[in-house]
Parts: sequence; C-alpha cells; structure tokens
Amino acid sequence: MEFSWDFTPVLQNYPVLLKGVGMTALLWLIAFPVSMLAGFFISLATGSRRWLAVGLGRSYVELFRNTPVMIQLIWFFYAFPILTGQQLTPTVAALCGLILNASAYCSEIFRGGMASVPRGQWEGARALGMSRAQVMRRVIVPQVFASMLPAFTNRGIELAKNTSIASVIAVQELMYQGRALSAAFYRPLEILTAVGLIYFLLIYPGSYLASRLERRFARRV
Amino acid sequence: MNYDWDFGAVWAYRQMLWDGALGTLKIAVVAILLGVVIGAVVATMRLSGRRGLRYPALGFTEFYRNTPPLLHFFWAFYALPVVLGVSLDPYVAAVIALSTQSGAFYAEVFRGGVLSIERGQWEGARALGMLPGAVLRRVVLPQALRRMLPPFMERSFELIKTTALASTLAYTDLLYQAMQVNSITFRPLEVYTMVAAIFFLTLLALSLLAHLVEGRLARASQPVAW
Repeated sequence: MEFSWDFTPVLQNYPVLLKGVGMTALLWLIAFPVSMLAGFFISLATGSRRWLAVGLGRSYVELFRNTPVMIQLIWFFYAFPILTGQQLTPTVAALCGLILNASAYCSEIFRGGMASVPRGQWEGARALGMSRAQVMRRVIVPQVFASMLPAFTNRGIELAKNTSIASVIAVQELMYQGRALSAAFYRPLEILTAVGLIYFLLIYPGSYLASRLERRFARRV
Repeated sequence: MNYDWDFGAVWAYRQMLWDGALGTLKIAVVAILLGVVIGAVVATMRLSGRRGLRYPALGFTEFYRNTPPLLHFFWAFYALPVVLGVSLDPYVAAVIALSTQSGAFYAEVFRGGVLSIERGQWEGARALGMLPGAVLRRVVLPQALRRMLPPFMERSFELIKTTALASTLAYTDLLYQAMQVNSITFRPLEVYTMVAAIFFLTLLALSLLAHLVEGRLARASQPVAW
C-alpha cells in the first residue's frame, strides 16, 4: 500500500482530457438522436403485419442485441471496408456500430410502448376516419411518449457508456485520451480514477433523471 | 462487392478460436458466480436498516452503473496493482472488473425482487411468529426468486457480451484470439464475422432457453384455485 497520490499529470493535461470529453459528447450527440429515429422506423417494421418486414426487422434487432458492441465496432472498422472497398475513419466506424446497436434497442422500446396502447384506440381513431399515420401522430405517440421516457433515458446512459469502446479503434474520446496520458506519465491510478470520475459526472445526471421519471410514472399508473 | 469469402483460411485456425471460446466461457462463469455473491452481499447491505451499511452499498452500485465497463477493466488492470502493490495478470483483472460490475447490477436485481413482495406478507408471516430470517427464507425468497429470474438472465447475457472487453487486456478470450488469427491470415471479414456469429448463436440459444424456463415457472406459479 505504499503509493502517494499525485494528480499533477491530470491537472497539467486537462486540455487533453477535455478534448476527449468533447469527442465523447460528439459521438453521443450524433448517435443518440439518429438511433432513436432509426429505431422508430424499425419498430414500424417489427410492429407491422407484413411477415417480410417483421422478419427483417426482428433479425436486425436480434442480431445487434445478441452480439457484443465491441465486436460490432471492430467489424465496422476492420471487416466492413473489405466488403465495400471503402475504408471508414475510426469515428465513422464507431458511429456506425453505436447507432446500429442502439437503434435495435430503441426500436424495442417503441414497439413495447405502442403495444401498450389498447387496440380499441386504433380502431376508434380509424373509425373516425384518420389515416394510419394520423392515428400514430395524434393518438398513439402523445400517450406513449411520456411512458417511454425512462427507457430512452436508460438507453442514452448505455450509449454514453458504450462510446468508451470507440477508444479500441483509436477514436480519440475520453477513454482513449485517458489511456494515452496514463501510458505517457505512468500514473495509471490517478489518471484512470480521474477519467472514471469524469464519466460519473457526465452520466450520473442522466441516471438520476431516469430514476425520477420512473418513480413518477410508477405513481401515476 | 465481388469479394471472395474464404472461411477455409480461418477454419485452419479453429483450435485458436476454440481456446478463445473456452477463455470466454471461463471468465463468464467465474464472474457470474462471484457476481452473484457480491450482489447478494450488496443487496443485503442496501436493504439493511443501518446507514453505515446502506450508503456504502449505494455508492458501490451507483459508481458501477454510471461508469463504462471498459474503464473498470483498465482500472483493475493498470490502477488496482498500484494500490495493492502486486501486479495482476489479465485473467484476474478481468474477473475482478466483471464480477464487481455485475455484482452491482445483480444487487439491484435482488433488491428489486425482495422489494416487489408486498409488505403485508412480511407482516403476516411475522404475526404468525416467524423470525425475520425465516420470513425471508420461507415466504419472500421463494416468490422473489421467480420474479428475479428474467432480469437476472438479462444481466447475465449482458455480462457474457461484456467479456469481449477482456480482449483489451490481452486476455485470451474469443475476441482476442480472433485478433490473433486475423493478424496471421489477414482475413478480418471472415474472422470477425465468424466471431460475431458464434456470440450471436450462443446468446440466441441461451435466451430461447431462458424464455422456456420462464414460461415453465410462470405456469408453475399460477395461483391455486381455492
């Protein structure tokens, strides 16, 4: 137990870590909205009545939920270019993996939310002469959106944690910068602890919000 | 897009991938077992009436739930040895990282299961003269365990997927071995597709099995008609 904490490498190199935070935030800010949008369209397929759409949608969802994110990122960085002849930059490969993964989970949240609306509402709104899209927009989405919020917040948290895996394919986000610093200064304890604290500060507000939302909906139901 | 797939080159190194699969299985099983123990201890602490036990347990789960798993691996491998003064090999570091983080999640599963049993049952059983330990063992746990099973399985699948991160510590798991095979054969497309397929088929089979068991249990626990 003979070691002394020395945080000077962390404090002196804070711009490096800050740049990493910027990259982490960028990955999240792009991947999260795109995943939600993609997830919505996939849920239309898995929730539809056409067997081909259901089959394709379900295969997509199961494929990305049943393989590790890290393998997805590595696949997009090393394997995908061979198939297409187009080398992706680390950031683009990471975004592809993160978005495909998160969209599979998001689509399940949408599907679960929409399935929770009683069929009678669909039928009633259809009987009033609304088109399917109108029923969705005016009747279904306003009701289920609020109840899906906690699940989406949790997905956002998982996505934020998954961005750290992008460091493996040399995307210079927080985890990557932390490892680079700890290798350069040989102070892994202080630097990795600091990186952990930064992640905690970034992610904790999200999970606090998720637990608040969950409690609120639990009371209302 | 006219690429010639050649799984033969990869198949020649199947022994390496098999060793990797065994490495993955090994840390997954050990981490699940240790994680259950850690989870049970942490859940008991969180449910206890003493603040001195409740708050550290809360801090533990919140830390692990709000930081990335990859950080836990690096911390266990690079930072923890500085604290302990001994160097850890990748296997030990990976098991420490996996079991503590899954312990934090299992603790939430266990706590949720116990809390889901209505207070009335506690009170009723206590009124019949059972001690708190007996109430837990005879009344609460038999019901709670059944409710814990689905989230428990889900967390365990997450853990199996997270084992892939151990490859970053050069632990010889399936992904690490795949990287080695790739550096020999220069066939990333085949190697990584195959590894993804192995994970996919294994997890799919396990989740079908879990659904089957859950269905059984749900039927077995139908309320008896009086």
